[in-house]
Amino acid sequence: FSFKFHLSGTCAHLQTAVGLHRCHLNITGACSAIQKMTRVRVVDNSTLGNTPYHRPPKCIHVYNKSGVGKVGDKILLAIKGEKKKALIVGHRRPGPCMTPRFDSNNVVLIEDNGNPTGTRIKTPIPLILRKHEGEFSKVLAIAQNLV
Amino acid sequence: MWRGSRWLRGLLLRPAGPGRAPAVRRAAGWAGPAGRALSGGPSAELRAGGGAEREHRAPDHALSKFSIDFVTALLRQENASNICVIQLPPEMRYSDYFIIVSGSSARHLHAMAHYTLKMYKQMKQENNPHVLIEGKDTDDWMCIDFGSIVIHFMLPETREIYELEKLWTLRSYDDQLAQMVPASLPDDFIFGLTNKQQ
Repeated sequence: FSFKFHLSGTCAHLQTAVGLHRCHLNITGACSAIQKMTRVRVVDNSTLGNTPYHRPPKCIHVYNKSGVGKVGDKILLAIKGEKKKALIVGHRRPGPCMTPRFDSNNVVLIEDNGNPTGTRIKTPIPLILRKHEGEFSKVLAIAQNLV
Repeated sequence: MWRGSRWLRGLLLRPAGPGRAPAVRRAAGWAGPAGRALSGGPSAELRAGGGAEREHRAPDHALSKFSIDFVTALLRQENASNICVIQLPPEMRYSDYFIIVSGSSARHLHAMAHYTLKMYKQMKQENNPHVLIEGKDTDDWMCIDFGSIVIHFMLPETREIYELEKLWTLRSYDDQLAQMVPASLPDDFIFGLTNKQQ
């Protein structure tokens, strides 16, 4: 996996994916799914996730051997000045073949015991979570749209 | 709570239990017949066919002995309150049956979940997948996913908070979803990268 750096500094892998256009934005962040300091989008209807704050929720730790979080990994989020655990339900990085890729890094807030903080999720949730080892049935149970 | 094999044989030979007619059943009677009428989406048509046909329909999954009727009989025997069985349409690609069950205490939920798992382990063959209990360290919500059946064990308070029956019967018409404020895109969202043709 070699990176070819263009004048605009974009990732060659993503350039080929989106058709070799010139964009002047550095989008190399999407190459690594979710890691420390990524801004994420909370997609459930919890009050903590939906009240506006002057800083977006950021990942501060990924509970994984590598520091990169994919769909189904637990992360620690800094949200409204507090720490909260969350579950990744979708990221902008292309995943394995025939799995959905999302336009935003989606995350669902969960408690320390694994119960989801919100009660409904409107955004699509990938069904590959069912095959993963882990406690995802609760998140799938409160999702409206399964993809 | 160890059940001997003699009891198990008796359970299997027992004739089909009562009350199999409605596909969505609930002891407390929350919108029993109304629930069927209210439900939007494709699941209504399947259930409107009536419970009578369901008894004679052979279960499709590999573990034919661990059927929905066996599971409901088991839960009733465990003094589970408010057993709610929802039959899901195959278009959802999630499972065939979605069961929500209430318990009287955290210990009761724990016991029910472990007992259901023990029964499954006794009845499954080598090619059936192992099943784990999710939420073992919680005290109000446990669930088990058996492939074609998903069972949620909750305390009544937790049940009231999440209202899973409402979500899974009225899929898009659920009132909690309607109350959710539609999300706007965050300010740093880079959209339309593919549209930038220079």
